[in-house]
Amino acid sequence: MMDSGNAGGAPANNPSVKGPSVDGSAANGSPVISLRDVGKVIGGKTILSDISVDIEPGSIVGLLGKNGAGKTSLIDVMLGFSPPSSGSSRVFGENSFELPAAAKRRIGFVPQQDELLDSLTGAQQLALNAALHPAWDQALIARLIGEWEVPLDRRIQVLSGGERQKLATLLALGHEPDLLVLDEPASSLDPVARRQFLRELLDIAESPTRTVLFSTHIVSDLERVASKVWIIRDGRLAWAGDLDTLKESVVRVTLLARDAWPSQLDIDGVISRRDEGRRVQLVLTGWREERQREMAERWGAEVSVERLGLEEIFLELHS
Amino acid sequence: MDRGPPPPRIFILEPASGVPIYRQLMDQVRRLVASGHLAPGAELPSVREVASEYTVNPTTISKAYGLLELEGLVQRNRGKPMTIAPLRRNQQALAQRLRQVEAQVDSLVLAARQLDLEAAELIALIEQKMQEET
Repeated sequence: MMDSGNAGGAPANNPSVKGPSVDGSAANGSPVISLRDVGKVIGGKTILSDISVDIEPGSIVGLLGKNGAGKTSLIDVMLGFSPPSSGSSRVFGENSFELPAAAKRRIGFVPQQDELLDSLTGAQQLALNAALHPAWDQALIARLIGEWEVPLDRRIQVLSGGERQKLATLLALGHEPDLLVLDEPASSLDPVARRQFLRELLDIAESPTRTVLFSTHIVSDLERVASKVWIIRDGRLAWAGDLDTLKESVVRVTLLARDAWPSQLDIDGVISRRDEGRRVQLVLTGWREERQREMAERWGAEVSVERLGLEEIFLELHS
Repeated sequence: MDRGPPPPRIFILEPASGVPIYRQLMDQVRRLVASGHLAPGAELPSVREVASEYTVNPTTISKAYGLLELEGLVQRNRGKPMTIAPLRRNQQALAQRLRQVEAQVDSLVLAARQLDLEAAELIALIEQKMQEET
């Protein structure tokens, strides 16, 4: 964690908090995870600040950030591996840092560094985890072992990075968790395995009560399967909301005027600006279709709008 | 899990595009309808089928279908696949087009009254003229 947390981000578009469900469980509409003003300071260094966000059941959230932006620290606080320095973090309505065993059993987690036992074979490791979970779905595991080609007869210490990752993911899926959290899950997988893995995430989140959060720096995976995206920059959420809305909100606008442009343009939500004589190129947030005509009339300029993919949006937010 | 053969890939979805997937899908359904590739009554693949076939989040697919339904371009059928709506179903567009000829109809009705023409006689003449046109 290299970054300090005092650089300002674009305002996070926090989804609204829904009230508690009638039956008091966290499964029907109330957030699976709820973070309020979360900050984290380690050794005087700010790792996370001002993070307030919810995850609704049934969503697939992609957590995107540069190396060292705070992705893993955020997951640690969310799941209660370490307490927040300020603010609060709740999972299924319970304080993350004091999660009751019943709530823990509803979580599946695949850490960035797996915690497999090197001296066991894949089969032995699976048997061990199955024994720990009363509700182990052996049929699901058997199917995935076949589809993902997970080797079971070799010792874990001789497995490749991708094979280990598949095995670690299986271990987190066997008890059919309501909340599945994966830290850089697909980083060692080849394209075929990645696609199979993404399909599985979609299958899981098809159930309206099951939720997936995965951190990644592979933007294309996130664009496929995530319904929500969180962009974390220097320990702050630069965006938290629908992926579709993000793509509609952030655009590149090129203005071509008859004369040179003033250095100060009174425009809301400018992320970046590039000038080339009479042409000025802006990356804007908070875009609406009407703004194109408004800008054209206001400056008597030609206005063209280019939509940006997530990778470009991510780069612009970091420029 | 056996759902028969996969549906043909009638859409081209680009997750990496700056255009959200639901908008890509809406544009393509509109275009396929306009070109006649999807005729009224044609079945659309289910949200689940599209999401699975293209490995994309189903939320964005159901959003597209929901908005197309609001537009009147597709219709939901209980327990059956969604279909392209009959063209006349596009009630709003029809109302708008009728409004454009309302002034002419008003003067036509006035003339018909002055000439003691029955509505049925006038309608028969209109139908005859419209058939000549096409």
